[in-house]
Amino acid sequence: MIAALLAGASLAFPAQQGALAQPAKAPAAAKSSPVASAPAAAAAPAAAPAADSAQAGGNAEAGKAKLAMCIGCHGIAGYRTAYPDVYHVPKIYGQQQAYIVKALQAYKTGERSHPSMRGIARGLTDADMADLAAYYGGPHK
Amino acid sequence: MKTLFLAVAGFALALGSLGAAAKGNAESGKAKAAQVCAACHGPDGNKPTGPDFPILAGQHVDYLKKALVDYKTGKRNNPIMKGFAATLSSKEMDDLAAWFASQPSNLVTHR
Repeated sequence: MIAALLAGASLAFPAQQGALAQPAKAPAAAKSSPVASAPAAAAAPAAAPAADSAQAGGNAEAGKAKLAMCIGCHGIAGYRTAYPDVYHVPKIYGQQQAYIVKALQAYKTGERSHPSMRGIARGLTDADMADLAAYYGGPHK
Repeated sequence: MKTLFLAVAGFALALGSLGAAAKGNAESGKAKAAQVCAACHGPDGNKPTGPDFPILAGQHVDYLKKALVDYKTGKRNNPIMKGFAATLSSKEMDDLAAWFASQPSNLVTHR
């Protein structure tokens, strides 16, 4: 579990705004991660071994490089938000891709109001959202 | 004997999946879900009829309750869900959350 989290953190890109509970980064691996963003996603259509990556136009492999701000809450089993209310953060792995994009857009526009999610979604492009949805969205085998 | 075992296992499973926050009645929730939620989310919350409708089955019970409350109060602003949530009592929301949270699904916590 810890190893998995560290591996995920090693894919981190620099902006960590709004994150509540980031696990410590793996120091050695952190520097090797590219800053994945829209151009990288567009330029790497071949790097998509995951079968379901193409469904919503996103690239699951590119999404994998953008998980840093997600895993601190959504990657920890049983994790609860502490602010503004206490409840379990939703399970998102296996959720419908289009719903994930819709949720992120709603946070970005302010239609949904969770403070951390708003801060994070504001920093995401449409391509980022599609890539994250392709990674998280199911069905997974 | 086998029946008894299944009953006990089922009860333990229900307790485990609902956790300490469980206060809804999943069976009451099932009946309500068939009337209100099933048309879009599927009877067990596993088969949404639209690509951008969420899977509810297996989601955390307290998150499901919170979503319904937020729709009702308007904190979460969705015209379709607001209409449904507005008709639900807090007890009905607990029941629905208990029902959907206890249904098996592919939703998991995974980095």
